[in-house]
Amino acid sequence: MTEVRAEMVANVWKVVAEPGAEVQAGEVLVVLESMKMEIPVEAPVSGKVIEVRVKEGDVVQDGDVVAVIG
Amino acid sequence: MQAEARQDFAMRELVRELAEKKEKFLGMGGPEKVAQQHAKGKLAVRERLDLLFDKGTFTEYGLLAHAQPSVAPALAGKWTPADGVVTGIGDVDGRKAAIIAYDFTVMAGSMGMIGELKAARMRELALRLRIPLIWLLDSAGARIQETAGSTFARAGHLFREEVVMSGVVPLVAAMMGPCAAGTAYIPGLADFVPMVKGTSSMALGGSHLVRAAVGEEVSDEEMGGSAVHTRISGVADLEVPDDKTCIQVIKEYLSFFPSHNQEPPPVKETGDPVDRRCPELYDIVPTNQRRAYDVRKVIRAVVDEGYFFEMKPEWAKNVVTGFARFGGIPAGIVASQPMVMGGALDVNASDKVARFVWLCDAFGIPLVFLMDVPGFLVGSQVEREGIIRHGSKMLFAVSEATVPKVTVVLRKGYGAGYFVMNGAAYEPDYVVAWPTAEISVMGPEGAVNIIFRKEIEAAPEGERERIREERIRQIREAINPYLAAGWAGVDDIIDPADTRFAIWRGLTLGNRRVLERPWKKHGVLPV
Repeated sequence: MTEVRAEMVANVWKVVAEPGAEVQAGEVLVVLESMKMEIPVEAPVSGKVIEVRVKEGDVVQDGDVVAVIG
Repeated sequence: MQAEARQDFAMRELVRELAEKKEKFLGMGGPEKVAQQHAKGKLAVRERLDLLFDKGTFTEYGLLAHAQPSVAPALAGKWTPADGVVTGIGDVDGRKAAIIAYDFTVMAGSMGMIGELKAARMRELALRLRIPLIWLLDSAGARIQETAGSTFARAGHLFREEVVMSGVVPLVAAMMGPCAAGTAYIPGLADFVPMVKGTSSMALGGSHLVRAAVGEEVSDEEMGGSAVHTRISGVADLEVPDDKTCIQVIKEYLSFFPSHNQEPPPVKETGDPVDRRCPELYDIVPTNQRRAYDVRKVIRAVVDEGYFFEMKPEWAKNVVTGFARFGGIPAGIVASQPMVMGGALDVNASDKVARFVWLCDAFGIPLVFLMDVPGFLVGSQVEREGIIRHGSKMLFAVSEATVPKVTVVLRKGYGAGYFVMNGAAYEPDYVVAWPTAEISVMGPEGAVNIIFRKEIEAAPEGERERIREERIRQIREAINPYLAAGWAGVDDIIDPADTRFAIWRGLTLGNRRVLERPWKKHGVLPV
């Protein structure tokens, strides 16, 4: 189980990953929006998306868990 | 005639004795200890020196020194050749450098009183001869048998002297084993700190001391290994896989530096044409300002032969710092990294750049800024972390630097981010922008709420969003590189493919700069 966290305060702009999907390391799970930029949150490891904890429009804080990969 | 023959014989006997003694001392802790060193994946101290210094150039100082049992009776009978530290001066790629190399095969490389006299001798000589000083650290720390008790009252010269040397000659502290306790301030004060993965560690208190002092159970590696110091604390600059690579990166690092602060940095022609166009940049940097990219690809495209020596690559990754050459001229590069945190500046990024700029400025190495910064990160979290304090540090270092400076605005240059990335007011010798440049105090979405708040609030509710969008469009139109160039705020707008040539021209012009500051003892540094 790997928790994928936000690296900064941001709005959730797009949720790309779907629970249950298989993803490769480096694949974009969620795109955040902060400081006028799209901040892609990538899978640090390959595996199955167990959970996506955010939805579009949410605000995440630095260190919040965005998704869980198992 | 006969008397002369007897004298001759006596001298030969003395010489034989000397050679025997030296042979024994050169063996350091002996084959068994050296084998233990190898088993840990480490090289023995003399193997390290053979890799570092040009063949036959090493002059050793203090080979025959050893611990004095009269100082510490506990050491009586102990074999302590060179007192556990090899010191001397040799040529690194043809230029002199002094070394203090701790040897784990002799009393775990512990720092004894005699060894420290030798280290002091090297500090003295490196400063007087104006040559770099390199520490190879592989030491259990202070030799407690010699220093426990209040004779300690007169200790501590090593750090004060290191501070005096800082910025005069390059200081390199390579972590090639443990570096426990207060001696971790040697790398803390040094300019460049590579760490060997798996074998090196540094911590103000080693694991034994930590258990005794605060009750925490932690290994030296977990507490102060390369993973911690190159990714989390930012104390070290580079993680390297083994001793050989460690020595190699020391040489590469020093190749960008003069021997001392009054010598120009060494120019090393590479044959890569300075006017080489880089059309690949068209496809590396997206015109969509919201899209991220890896700025290291931009750097590798524009520097000589694509060779970039990155400093602290795994820490504060939202900015990229490191060394490269343009037409052979060494330069320190500071680049925004849109791929991480959108390239926004936070406390660690500010620290990373400030320190790097101070390093380059101290040794006359010109600075190249590649700007694509959405600004300093805002919000309650960064305020609590002291972003103003840390951002001030970056502002301070960039303002203070008197070396040649060239700025290229790739895309964004927002707010104070534009200033600290060496905007036009920060004495660039040449500041240019790409056609994609967006320079402004803030983005249109933020500005609209400040400039047109009253107008928008006064409008009927159904109209507000339309007016807001309209005003955002107006502001966005005013954020345009031709306005910056039209007001002579940047010196030129360039074809991105000509970036390399523009940087080189800026550096060669900047090389002529005369920039004198008002006399002061020193500024009041924000930290």
